[in-house]
Amino acid sequence: MSAAENTFENLRLELRRGCLTLAVLAQLRQEHYGYTLRKDLAERGLEIDESTLYPLLRRLETQGLLVSQWREEDKRNKRFYRLSPDSEQILARLLDEWNAINASISRILDAAQEKVAPHADNQ
Amino acid sequence: MELLDRYLQAVRKYLPFRRQDDIIAELRANMESQIEDRESELNRPLTQGEFDDFLRKMGHPLVVASRYQPQQYLIGPTLFPMYFYVLRLALLWAFIVCMIVAAVVTPLTQSGGQAVIDALFRTPGILIQTAAWITLVFAAFDFARSRYPETCAQIPGVNRNWNPSSLPPLEKAPHSGKPRSFTQIVIEIVMGVLFLGWLLIIPHHPFLLMGPGAAYLEAGPFLLAPEWWTFYWLLIAVNIMQIAWKCVELGRGTWQWPSRFLGIVSKAVGLIPIVFLLSVTDHRYVLLKNPVTDQLHYGQNLHQVNYGLYLAFSVVCAIVALQLAFDIGRWAVEIYRRPEVRP
Repeated sequence: MSAAENTFENLRLELRRGCLTLAVLAQLRQEHYGYTLRKDLAERGLEIDESTLYPLLRRLETQGLLVSQWREEDKRNKRFYRLSPDSEQILARLLDEWNAINASISRILDAAQEKVAPHADNQ
Repeated sequence: MELLDRYLQAVRKYLPFRRQDDIIAELRANMESQIEDRESELNRPLTQGEFDDFLRKMGHPLVVASRYQPQQYLIGPTLFPMYFYVLRLALLWAFIVCMIVAAVVTPLTQSGGQAVIDALFRTPGILIQTAAWITLVFAAFDFARSRYPETCAQIPGVNRNWNPSSLPPLEKAPHSGKPRSFTQIVIEIVMGVLFLGWLLIIPHHPFLLMGPGAAYLEAGPFLLAPEWWTFYWLLIAVNIMQIAWKCVELGRGTWQWPSRFLGIVSKAVGLIPIVFLLSVTDHRYVLLKNPVTDQLHYGQNLHQVNYGLYLAFSVVCAIVALQLAFDIGRWAVEIYRRPEVRP
């Protein structure tokens, strides 16, 4: 992997890290176990590796953002996760932050596009 | 499913001990669900190759298990800059103290050059110990901060209410201050030539160096060792080199900001005559004119004079070596930072 590719990959992972946490928290407003959560996220266009998602669920639970429960389903014991009652507010604040960042980046990109366009027209 | 068991067994070995069972049970449930889904899609059991691909996609057991570990480092990014700053300062001071002990304290308390050499050789060990203790203290502090953020004190002064007025004053830029003037370089060269002339006539007129002591040396029982001649010519060579360097600077028009590298070379060359004196056999700088007859009367005095001279040269050598190390350090820092200031 070239240095530029390596830099891109690191930046991509960094960018995805926060987004994945937000997506997982948002998706876990409904109860899921690891595999179905991964499937649901993938169906909505967000692919996550198993080796990333399952430890992430553990970390979020340790931080008190999720609660979990072992329960039998389809003759198999599974660990079901959902957003903890106190985390609804945290999720709402994170979503506000996400929307604000998203809007800011859109404005920045639009402004940059407007600056580039007149030069392109002149050429 | 035997392969799945073997895979989970391999993952378990690298997991945190207390959570092994829980994590493995969850991982197994998720993986079995995934396999079932895939098999119902295909309407047949997975082949050996497909199972291998599935496990390969899950990741190497070591990698999978590592994701369950908390992020581990000795000293975290918040504390690291302060740790590195303290470490550099402590190592610098430890080095200075070691040098002072080796060059000044040891010769005063113990006799013989071996003690000085032993003290010098102890320096790396002391530096490693210093670094280890500082690392240990910072690692413990960071561990306490991460485990007990509420009870553990913050880094003093490092918080949202820090005081901008407490920032240190601006440091001098590398080329701050006055540049060397033309008059100054000319005077330096003239003085250098005069000093060289003075050095060259000393063998014919020792009075110019020793004053009345020259007559005592002439009439007394002592004489200077022949090694002083080597030292003398080395000194002449160093002075000629320094004058030549200044002349080259004047000729090239670069006298205003003398090259730091050439300054370091000049200082390093200046060490050669002192190192030569320190290497004189048995530190015999002064001898007896008639050792057979005078040894009994003057032997003890001679030993004290030679030892005193050796001590003085050791101190001078240590000071020049420290200055040289400091200059090299500053020069290295300048080189390291140079690409950053380029536009």
